[in-house]
Amino acid sequence: MLETVQLTKAFKGKTVVDEVELYLDQGESVGLLGPNGAGKSTTISMISSLLKPTSGDVKLNQKSTIKNPVDLRKVLGVVPQEIALYEELSAYENLKFFGRIYRVPKSELESRIQDTLEIVGLKERQKDLIKTFSGGMKRRVNIATALLHNPKILILDEPTVGIDPQSRNYILEMVRQLNEQKGTTVLYTSHYMEEVEQLCNRVYIMDHGKVIAKGTKSELLSILSNEDTISVQPNRIDEEFLAAVKEIEGVRKVEVSGEEINIIAKKASNIVSELVNVGERHQVQILNFQMENPSLENVFLHLTGRTLRD
Amino acid sequence: MWTFLIKDLLLFWRDRKEVAIIILLPLALVVILSLVMPGMFGEENDEEYDLNLGLVIEDEQEQGLERFEEQSRQTSDFSSNELEELLIGVHALPPVEGLIEYLNSPELAEWVSVETMVKEEAQEEVEQGNLDASLIIPEDYTFHLLADMYLNEPAEQSLIFQADDQTMEVEILSNVIQSYLDHMNLHHAISSAGGDVEVPSDALPQGEVENVEGQQPFSMDQYFTISMGALFVLFLAATVATRTGIEKRENTFKRIVLTNSPPLYYLFGKTMGTFILAWCQMMLIFIGSHFILGVFSDHGAAVWVGLILMVTIYTLAIAAISAVMTSVMLRLKKPETGDGIFMLVIMVFGVIGGNFVPIYLLPNWLQQIGEMTPNGLVLATLIEWIQYEDFSILVMPSIILSIIVIVSLFIGIKLYPKRGDVS
Repeated sequence: MLETVQLTKAFKGKTVVDEVELYLDQGESVGLLGPNGAGKSTTISMISSLLKPTSGDVKLNQKSTIKNPVDLRKVLGVVPQEIALYEELSAYENLKFFGRIYRVPKSELESRIQDTLEIVGLKERQKDLIKTFSGGMKRRVNIATALLHNPKILILDEPTVGIDPQSRNYILEMVRQLNEQKGTTVLYTSHYMEEVEQLCNRVYIMDHGKVIAKGTKSELLSILSNEDTISVQPNRIDEEFLAAVKEIEGVRKVEVSGEEINIIAKKASNIVSELVNVGERHQVQILNFQMENPSLENVFLHLTGRTLRD
Repeated sequence: MWTFLIKDLLLFWRDRKEVAIIILLPLALVVILSLVMPGMFGEENDEEYDLNLGLVIEDEQEQGLERFEEQSRQTSDFSSNELEELLIGVHALPPVEGLIEYLNSPELAEWVSVETMVKEEAQEEVEQGNLDASLIIPEDYTFHLLADMYLNEPAEQSLIFQADDQTMEVEILSNVIQSYLDHMNLHHAISSAGGDVEVPSDALPQGEVENVEGQQPFSMDQYFTISMGALFVLFLAATVATRTGIEKRENTFKRIVLTNSPPLYYLFGKTMGTFILAWCQMMLIFIGSHFILGVFSDHGAAVWVGLILMVTIYTLAIAAISAVMTSVMLRLKKPETGDGIFMLVIMVFGVIGGNFVPIYLLPNWLQQIGEMTPNGLVLATLIEWIQYEDFSILVMPSIILSIIVIVSLFIGIKLYPKRGDVS
C-alpha cells in the first residue's frame, strides 16, 4: 500500500535519514521505534509529503508521490508530534475548520465532527477553547483532527509524549480500536518500546538515521534467541565491579539502569556463578537476581549498546 | 478561501488584547497627542515665526505731500474747510509713514524683523535666502496713493512685494502688508462717509495653518487622526504576518498543507482578512476621533466620501503588502527574524511617511521620499483632500496605490512556498 524506497534526507551535508526502506500493507499496524534523534520524525515528514527527500521515493500503491502528493494526502491522516491546533479556537471550531478545508461534504461534516469527538472522548468539552485543555486532551483533539476525513492510513508521530498515564492508555486503546475495528492502517512512531510492543504487528527499529532491524516482534526477539537477559541488583555499583562483570566470559552487553545492572550474555554460559564470584572479589553483595524474557528494549540494547531513552 | 477568512477573523476577535491595541490605542494616541501638542502647526505658538523683511524706501514723502497739496488746491472738489481738514489729516499720518510705523510696531516686532536697505541689496538678500521677502515703496508712491484715494486719479504706482519662493513665511508677510492696506482703505472709506475708525493692532494670523484662497483650515487633531490611522494599519499588516509565523511555529500551517486545500486560498484568506480588519480599523479611528474631538465637524458629508475612497484603496494596498509579508514569513526558517524585519520596515515607513512627526517639520527631500511610501502618500493626500475637497487630488494617489496592490499581490504569490516546501 505505502512504501519508501531508499528514502534519504540530508541537511547541510549531514545525513539524518539514510536509505530507509519500509512498507505498510493495508490494515497493518507498524511501529517505528528508535531513540530521540534517530530520524523517525524526519522520515514521517517525508512520508507525509511535508518534506522533500534528498533522494529516494515514497510510493502509494506503486505510484510515486514525491511530485504529486495529492492522492497520498487524501488517504493520509497525520498526527504530528506537536499540538497542531489553534489554541484560541474551541475543539469544535478547530475540527470544523480543518473538516472544511479537508473538503468533508457539508452534509456529513457535523456528524463526522461528533463521531470523531466521540472516538477521542471529548464530546462534552467540544465548546471549550483548546488553551483550557490539559496536555492529554490536546493530544486527543490533535488525533481527532487527523481522523476527520476518514483516512485509510494513520501516521502518529510520538502521540503520547508528555502526557499522563491515563490519557496515554486512552490514546493507545483508541489507536488499537481504529486499527482492529475500522481497518485503518497505522504507522506508529515512538521511543516507548512497550507502546510499540502493545500496538504493532511489525516493527522497524531506527538509529542514527538507519533502519537497523525490522520484522515482527517474535522475529526481532529471535535476535536474542542465543542470549540470556539477566537483571542483577547489587548492594552497590562501582566502576571496578562493572569492568569485572564485562570481563566475564559470555557477557555481551552490560547496562546500568538505576540500581540494577542489565546483562545480555551468551546462553548456557556459566554467568550466575561467575557473577557471585566477581561480587565476592569486589565486596559487592548480590541482593536480587532475575532471568528475564527478552524485550524490544533488549533487542535495541543488543544492536546499539544503548537504551531507547539514551 | 472564506473558511480561512472566517478562521482569521475569529482568531483576531478572540485575542482581545490585540483588538484593544489595534482599535483603542490609536484612538487614545490621537486624543492624547491632540491635547498635548495642539500648537505644532502654529496654533497658539506665535514665537515659532521669525520673519525677515527688507524694506526699500524710494519714495520721498515730503515731496509727495507737497505735490498732493498743490494738486488738491487746484481742484474744485473740496470746500476750503474740507481741504484744510484733509491736509491736516494727511500731514498728521502720511500713509507711508503709517506703514513703516506699523511694520516696526512692538506687536509685529516680536515676529517680524524689518531692515531698511537699498533695492539691489534687498534683492540679493532675498536671493540668498537671508530675507523672506522685500517690500519696495516706489518713487512718488505717497503722491499717487493720496491722489488715488482723494482726487480719484488712477494710481500709477503701487507697492512691490518680492520673494523667491511661495513659502508659508512669504504668505504671512504678504498678508500682514495687505491687512494694513485693507485697514487703510477701510479707514478712508469710513472717513469719507463721515465716520471714524480705530487703528487695530494687528497680530500673527491666528489658528490653523495659514489660509490661502479656496483652502479650508487643517488642524493638528486632523493630522494625528490620519497619521495614526495610516500608521496602525501598517502595524496590523505586521500582526497578520506574525500570526502566520505562529501558525508555522505551531505546525497548524503544516496541517493545512496536508489537507490538500489550494495553497493560495490560505494567502488570499490572509489578504482579505487584513483588508477587512484594516478598513474597519482606519474607519473606526476616523469616526471615533470625529465623535471624541470633532475632527471633521467643519466639513460636510463630501469629505467622508473622499476619506472612505482613500481608506479603501490604501487598506487594499496594505492587505497586498501583508500578502508579501505572509509569504516571506513562510519562507523564513525563524519567524522571529520576520517579526524584527517587518517592525523595522514599519518604523522606517512611519518616520519618513510623517506618521510620527508632522511632515511639515521634515526637510523637503525627506517629505518627497515619504510620499513614496503608501502611508506617507495617503497622509499627504488626505491632508490636501481635507483642505480642498477636490476629487482630482485623489486620482494620482489612487493610481499609485492600485499599482502597489497589483505589484505586491504578484510578489506575494510568487514568494508563496510551493507544496512540500513548508519545513
